Amino acid sequence: MKERTISGSLFDVANTLFMLFILSVMVVPFVYILSYSFSNPGMLKGGLILWPAGFTLDSYTKAFADPAVLKSVFISVARTVLGPALMLLFTSMGAYALTRSDLGGVKFFRKYFVFTLYFSSGIIPMYLLMGYLQLKGTFLVYVLPGAVSVFSMVLIKTYIEALPRELEEAAVVDGANDFRLFFQVIFPICTPVFAAVVLFECVNQWNAFIDTQIYNTMSPDLYPLQYVLYNTLNQINSLEQLKLQGQKGLGAITPQTFKMAITVITVLPIAFVYPFLQKYFVKGLLVGSIKG
Amino acid sequence: MIAKISRQRYLYAMLIPAVVITFIFAYVPLFGWFIAFVNYKPGFSLFSSEWIGFQQFKAFFTETKDYVYLLRNTLSINIGSLIANLGTAFVFALLLNEVRLRFFGKLIQTVTFFPFFISWIIIYSLSNALFATSAGAINQMLVQWGWMDEGMNVLGDPKYAWAFIIAIGVWKYLGYNSVIFISSIASIPAEYYEAAQIDGANRWQRMLYITVPNLVPTLIVLLILNSGWILNSNFEQFYLFTNTTNWEKMEVLDIYIYKYGLQLLNYPYATAVGIMKTVMSLLIIVSVNAIAKRATGKAIF
Repeated sequence: MKERTISGSLFDVANTLFMLFILSVMVVPFVYILSYSFSNPGMLKGGLILWPAGFTLDSYTKAFADPAVLKSVFISVARTVLGPALMLLFTSMGAYALTRSDLGGVKFFRKYFVFTLYFSSGIIPMYLLMGYLQLKGTFLVYVLPGAVSVFSMVLIKTYIEALPRELEEAAVVDGANDFRLFFQVIFPICTPVFAAVVLFECVNQWNAFIDTQIYNTMSPDLYPLQYVLYNTLNQINSLEQLKLQGQKGLGAITPQTFKMAITVITVLPIAFVYPFLQKYFVKGLLVGSIKG
Repeated sequence: MIAKISRQRYLYAMLIPAVVITFIFAYVPLFGWFIAFVNYKPGFSLFSSEWIGFQQFKAFFTETKDYVYLLRNTLSINIGSLIANLGTAFVFALLLNEVRLRFFGKLIQTVTFFPFFISWIIIYSLSNALFATSAGAINQMLVQWGWMDEGMNVLGDPKYAWAFIIAIGVWKYLGYNSVIFISSIASIPAEYYEAAQIDGANRWQRMLYITVPNLVPTLIVLLILNSGWILNSNFEQFYLFTNTTNWEKMEVLDIYIYKYGLQLLNYPYATAVGIMKTVMSLLIIVSVNAIAKRATGKAIF
């Protein structure tokens, strides 16, 4: 396919430049906050920086010395571990049962789950329900409503259905019951699809913030990192507004560098698992799209 | 019957927890729709409230003109986003396919996919860091270079609202949306290109007459499938970027429902608006599905 023409080469140059432009639009915001978070506030002159001005770890020392931040990291980690674990357990068991066409009422149950993909009761009924169930102001409100993910269920079910039936038959001949059949035969070979749905759920849990805003604003002990970041940002924004209005005497202003440091801390775990995310998620996405 | 159930007791034991959880968190709240039809006051029992029928539903259209700007914002932003997201991903995938260095192509794909996984708060934080009127890096830079006297209020001025919220979605979803296009390009048989080359087609012609026509069906299917969701907005995105200065161009139905329900505590009204949104969405999805079935032979469900 090698051919060289002037217009072709021009196109290659333009295309490469365009791709470099896209690359910088994607990368520069992150490089900027990273550089800013390590900068010495006194040495910053404003404008876009791609390298720290001065170097200090002060904002990070300050962030990790803040009990509210530490507590929120713990909450975020807890929901990122427990949420996907619960989800995988309940969703995969359900998905397996739905693959068994011999199960009585299986057609009804399949419709029962898929139906929920197309409507939602809305925010107010959900809020009232959480109140009735006494889940407001508890950690459970983060992990329980998502304990069954119908979307993941569809992916897992599709995966199991594509497995060779002989596996199950052999186990049945050995006298295994359905429970052992699932956990000892099916479960271990579903690793690829489980990895995809679990990673996806981990990201959702780590990134979630609106559930705290709706149900747990009165429980600062349950704030995840995302919510602490949100509060930090808003605190600074309102202070900036005051400053713009010419108010004086705001001694304890949270520096911009602190807010950048919290942003970096919040995005870092995603960056670490990103190689896995990309690997498993692209597969899951394509499976989903073929299904759709 | 009983014998069968007892034989399959382990299967049911695995299924029932999922059925119960789904029942509690997806089906029970539907009974909450009841609240839209009664004169409910927080603190009083739901069932002792007076029945008022469709009063709240009518109020949305007769007592205020809110629906005008809400529908305008919701539809403009969502349709704009749909077209912008798929259009950019389509062009991006085409151009990425023309990148000759494999390593460079992979790098671009990896980097553009990353924003899909980060939270809206992070994007909100990045937006503030870059676009805030006085403290934002871009505005500071433009002012320092003398291109402007003072920074643009991208985050607060209603005139930038639509363009900004659509652009930020394109930034987050470009890599994600292009995955499907990239894999469709990869599935175009190599013989097509070889045959065209023998016939003397240059690179541009091969792109225009082979890649593009093979990609258009995918584009159409994605457009049709996604258009079913045009009344639904990403709540976190709009919650963060709607503020007291840009709301008239930024506020969408979902935020309005939240505002009336959980901030102004008018549960019946907010629920009524929510019900109308859900029912209309469902109608749109069902008709879109029918159209998709007829046009492409593929259906969502």
